[in-house]
Amino acid sequence: MSCESLNEIIATFQGADPELRLELLLDYAKSLPGLPARLREAGTLAAARVPECQTPVFLFVEAEGDKVRLCAEVAEEAPTVRGFVSILVRAFDGARLADLAEAPADLLQQLKLDHVIRMTREVGLSAILYRLKREAARLGGVASAAQTA
Amino acid sequence: MSENYVHPEVLVTTAWVDEHRGDTRNLRIVESDEDVLLYNSGHIPEAVKIDWINDLNDPLVRDYIDVERFAELCERSGISPETTVVFYGDKSNWWACYAFWVFKLFGHPKCVIMDGGRKKWLAEARPTSTQTPVYPRARYAAPRKDESIRAFREDALRHSRALMPLVDVRSVPEFVGERTHMPEYPQEGVLRGGHIPGARNVPWARAANDDGTFKSRADLERIYLQEQKLRPEDDVIVYCRIGERSSHTWFVLTYLLGFAHVRNYDGSWTEWGNSVRLPIERKTTQPELAPA
Repeated sequence: MSCESLNEIIATFQGADPELRLELLLDYAKSLPGLPARLREAGTLAAARVPECQTPVFLFVEAEGDKVRLCAEVAEEAPTVRGFVSILVRAFDGARLADLAEAPADLLQQLKLDHVIRMTREVGLSAILYRLKREAARLGGVASAAQTA
Repeated sequence: MSENYVHPEVLVTTAWVDEHRGDTRNLRIVESDEDVLLYNSGHIPEAVKIDWINDLNDPLVRDYIDVERFAELCERSGISPETTVVFYGDKSNWWACYAFWVFKLFGHPKCVIMDGGRKKWLAEARPTSTQTPVYPRARYAAPRKDESIRAFREDALRHSRALMPLVDVRSVPEFVGERTHMPEYPQEGVLRGGHIPGARNVPWARAANDDGTFKSRADLERIYLQEQKLRPEDDVIVYCRIGERSSHTWFVLTYLLGFAHVRNYDGSWTEWGNSVRLPIERKTTQPELAPA
């Protein structure tokens, strides 16, 4: 399956005017694929552990050889977070682990969304990206260790 | 259905809003949500967005906006001091209450909340739009900031030491300081869990019905007056984690039950639980209030 490359997504956002960028983000929010059945229960349990006023975000990162499988669940009432996570899933599900590990830390700025998504929200989204990068790096390390074993 | 709240005039029904929403000269409908784009996904057609971070928080210092920014916010939203502002939003109107509270900080006279918020409006299949309305710019002479409804860290500490009523409106696991290992949530990460010593736990959700509306006066009195033994003349401080759930309870106590001295400690747990040497409690027994 093909995934839209991150650079293509960034180019689309950078080429859009501010209003269209928000609409694009909303579109991505709407198109986040649902969790596969085997992960749905874990997603619900994870959401239940989150303090009331934080958006529950459930991320599942798995290695398939040198590729990453990525899926996520985000509350529909949080379209900003859902849209950002959806962009990451679109760009990285099925991509190389190394590509996710090396995803740009300033992705929000590159998408030119930082004028709307500021302060607490920016920190929150950066934390999601950082967690994915770290997990991909870890899985990549495990994969290469398994190969040399 | 009429409710005998102490200040019934601050609540309007979805039906009332639907009937009056066209009166954009005298009414300004404001949507406030947790997510900055929820409004964009569909809102009451005449509503403008006021975002708690982008519009109501100071960009540099952890604080609310100053009088100049507030005046500018109102002017560009077509709100004058005579405008009746109708607040509504998600999460049983948490953020609507938050915005309402900020407007009261600046003394805006006519503020009301649409009972049931976004959820009820959508459940009743009332009209929505994704178009952002534009209103003629208004004039808003620089208001004064009145922080009598606001509590700071020192006030909460004083209350704690004097056994005066502190109401922690968070969920029970947050109140008792249950540790959750959620590394992906550092944005509001707090170094320590628990509550302010002497605080009583009355989760905000107890004041709301499942459909997002506020409970009846009788039900609210059962909770706050009979069960919690609070009195309308008490000097009460409410708090949560970042001050939005406690805005909801502030609204309930002040307007629905007619409490005269309720203050919102907006620093809340993200300040208290991160502060050096502020005392923390984790036990759950109900504190006895100091005698009047």
